[in-house]
Formats: sequence, structure tokens, C-alpha cells
Amino acid sequence: FKSQHRPTCNIPPGVNPEAYQWFQSVDTDHSGSITLKELRQALVNSNWSAFNDETCLMMINMFDKTRSGRMDLFGFSALWDFMQQWRALFQQYDRDRSGCISGQELHQALAQMGYNLSPQFTETLVGRFSVRGGRPGMQLDRFIQVCTQLQSMTQAFRERDTALAGNIRMSYEDFLTSAITRLM
Amino acid sequence: QATSLKHQKFNNLASIQLLRYLICVFLCRVDKDRSGVISDSELQQALSNGTHPPVSPLTTSCSLSAMFDRENKGGVNFNEFAGVWKYITDWQNIFRTYDRDNSGFIDKNELKQALTGFGYRLSDQFYGTLIEKFDRQRKGQVAFDDFIQCCIVLQRLTDVFRRYDTDQDGWIQVSYEQYLSMVFNVV
Repeated sequence: FKSQHRPTCNIPPGVNPEAYQWFQSVDTDHSGSITLKELRQALVNSNWSAFNDETCLMMINMFDKTRSGRMDLFGFSALWDFMQQWRALFQQYDRDRSGCISGQELHQALAQMGYNLSPQFTETLVGRFSVRGGRPGMQLDRFIQVCTQLQSMTQAFRERDTALAGNIRMSYEDFLTSAITRLM
Repeated sequence: QATSLKHQKFNNLASIQLLRYLICVFLCRVDKDRSGVISDSELQQALSNGTHPPVSPLTTSCSLSAMFDRENKGGVNFNEFAGVWKYITDWQNIFRTYDRDNSGFIDKNELKQALTGFGYRLSDQFYGTLIEKFDRQRKGQVAFDDFIQCCIVLQRLTDVFRRYDTDQDGWIQVSYEQYLSMVFNVV
């Protein structure tokens, strides 16, 4: 195995060495930044399907601090840590080791993360984000997408539910703003 | 006069058939995997190679194919593609009327005029938010493809809001799960 990795002294401080090496292989055109297309080619689910565009786009938007639609090494290193955390959680909550998260598994996972959601609601989520034509279950990419968005939406709801009534009253424009500012 | 009307009708019919033929030829080239269904990535590629400006994703779930894909098959078939095509052409015509200098971009005021023209009543502050989100090239202006995205997102959010605003007073009262499902329906 001939390593083409550059000497480790090139790794800037604050960048995970494993993320650094992965970055070099994902950045196929050696432009120094990762595009949506390059990221999509680099990430796979446990059933070997490529990550869906929405999740890749969401993660680029989260870690692309320059808002250029590309991720530099620092953004990519942060993404690497983020992915490792979600991958570990995914494996932990995939109790039957099926490679995907069922409605019941998602319900348990979200309950342990502190969300108070009905089994019906989590079942609907799994149904909506399952692979088309396959048996119901969420792959890693959808799990990351759903959990991240849930976090963000819950925060939006809590900011408005100051009385902790479980209900909020919103105007049309407030609703638009809450959705648009958080979801992309 | 009757003859000219008839003539015009014939012309319209002929041009519709010609358009259908052209779309068919175009689709055969676009549908790379010959599945009979144009996937989102095929659609994006096709639109950026065609006469239209490229339509790149901001939120892919609010993508064109998702809007026109009636059977949830992950893409559009021939008839649905005709709908996508017409939709884009319509938007492009609207965009052009506001893009006075033909730059391919519209600024905040023009965006406001366009959306007001569609019946939206929104505050200046909100237009600021929109520009900030949809001005991905950081020009203080919105490109054509981002304009389409912006319109689709607004339309979908408005539709879901209306479903809950039964008394149409512009306010809704929703529970936590209701709010989540409203937003998850759009994303």
C-alpha cells in the first residue's frame, strides 16, 4: 500500500488528521474545496446507496461558512466530526442491526434525545423518508436529515412557546420566516 | 375574421404539436438511463444544457420534479415534463419583465414587485430575509434559478399555512407536532 498522503505536518491546527486524509480523496479535482457533487460521491449508506442530494446540500449549507456552495478543509473537518457522531447514534439506535431505522427505533431514539413525539408521528416520518419501493426504514442520510431538521424546528417552536403551553400562535409572515431562515 | 381565427387556431395547434415533438426528442436525450422517468439530476442537467438558464438546487425537495411528480416515482414522465417546461417558461417570462436590464438578476425592489404581482403581501423586512437566503451569489440580487426556488418555497409554505388558517385571518394556532408536520411537508 503506497501512501500518497502528504506529510502530516501540512495539516492545519484544528483539523482532524483523518478528516484531512479523507478530504484529499474526496476533493477529486484538487481544487481545495468540496462541491455538492464531490460530497455526494463520497458518502454512502449501509445499503451502499449514495447519500441523497437534500442531506448533502443541508450539510454543505451547515458547514460552508463562506456561503460559496463549497466546503473548505475546516468546514469539512467539522462535517467529519458531525458525521461520526450521527453514525455512532445511528448504529446505537439500529437495535436489530438491519442497517436502517424503523418507526419504533426512531421513536425510541427521539425519546432518548428528549423529544416528546407520538409513535404515530415518528411512523409518519419514517414513511415519508423511507427508500421508495423498499421496506419502511430510514437510512443514515435520512436519519441525519430528519434529526438535524427536527432540532432546528423544535428550537423555532420553543422560542415562540414561551409559556410552555405546547401551542403557539403565529402570523403568516412569522411562519414563513421561521421555516425559510432555518431550513436551508 | 373567422378565417383568421381558424388560421390562428391551427397555428396554435401546430405549434403545440411541434412543441410536443421537440420535447419528445429532447427527453430522449435527457433520460440517460432510459427509465422513462426524468430524475431530478437528469432534469437539472437538461435545463442547464438547454435554452434555459441553469436551475441549480437550493432545496431539492422543493425541486421542480417533486412538484410535478404525481405518483411519487422520483422524477417526471413525458406529460409531467411538459408541465415543468411550461412552468419554467412562464416564470422566465415573468422574470424578464422585472429584469429590465436583462442581466439575469433581479434586485430586492424588483423581487418585491414580482411577488406583489403574484398577490403576496409581505413586509420589507421579510424581503430582506428572502434576498439574504436566495442571493447565493452574494450580489444583493437574485438569479433566475434562485427566483424560481424562492417562488416554489413561498408557494408551498403558503399552501400549508392556508390549510391551518381556516378562518383566513392570517394567524394560526398550532401544536408542536402540527408545526413540525407543516414544515416537514415542505422540506
